Amino acid sequence: MKTLAVVVTTPPYSHLTITALTYVEAALVAGINVIGVFFYQDGAMHANKNTSIASDEYQAIAHWQRLQQQYQLPLHICITAAEKRGIACDSIDNEQVNKAFTVSGLGELVELTTKASRLVQF
Amino acid sequence: MTIIEQQTPAILPKESGLAIINSKAPFSSNHGKDALDVALIFGSFEQKVSLFFQGDGVYQLIANQDGRLVSIKDYLKTFSAFEFYDIEDIYACQQSLVNRQLNETFHINDVQVLTSIEFGKALNRHQHVLRF
Repeated sequence: MKTLAVVVTTPPYSHLTITALTYVEAALVAGINVIGVFFYQDGAMHANKNTSIASDEYQAIAHWQRLQQQYQLPLHICITAAEKRGIACDSIDNEQVNKAFTVSGLGELVELTTKASRLVQF
Repeated sequence: MTIIEQQTPAILPKESGLAIINSKAPFSSNHGKDALDVALIFGSFEQKVSLFFQGDGVYQLIANQDGRLVSIKDYLKTFSAFEFYDIEDIYACQQSLVNRQLNETFHINDVQVLTSIEFGKALNRHQHVLRF
């Protein structure tokens, strides 16, 4: 079976993230097996629980959360990228990390890449 | 992509491994270091990874640079560790060097300078591509 992995490097307020979300949702709706989304570089900012985007703007984080719940889509953030951007990942209850996201490392990117028939970067 | 799939697999060599395209100059952003981290992780997991330098990314290969002069940790020094991670396929785009009037004076050995067409063909041999 064909599998897809996605890498997101853009922050939640980037318009390019909307493209990534639209793409991933289209793949899920089409029944493609999306094995995970890896958030690297500024993409890690999605996992910040304290991010607040004006209500009349696109709510990227809420949409990722929705896809995660609806399709059990694994969302991985790179711990190094996240901590560099002020998201503390080492505390016991990960207070600053949005629960929809799994704190992972670059090793997870290796895992996703080797399992995926296609890797798409945004 | 459809066209490639329609051809018989016997004609095309099997695509494998990860290609990382470096397209940014070394010290103005974190992209080069982020790409390096990915390359080294793939190397340490014994996954095939090749590095491509294109556009301003070719500046990452040029010798005699020192990030410390601009208070940046000089991640370029780590390039010399590639052989320990079995990262052997390192390609630079000739046209990018020519456009920037750069000589092929690199701070690591075994950089292969390729024409645009060869560069594209080399990229095509990989299953996955990440660009930084």
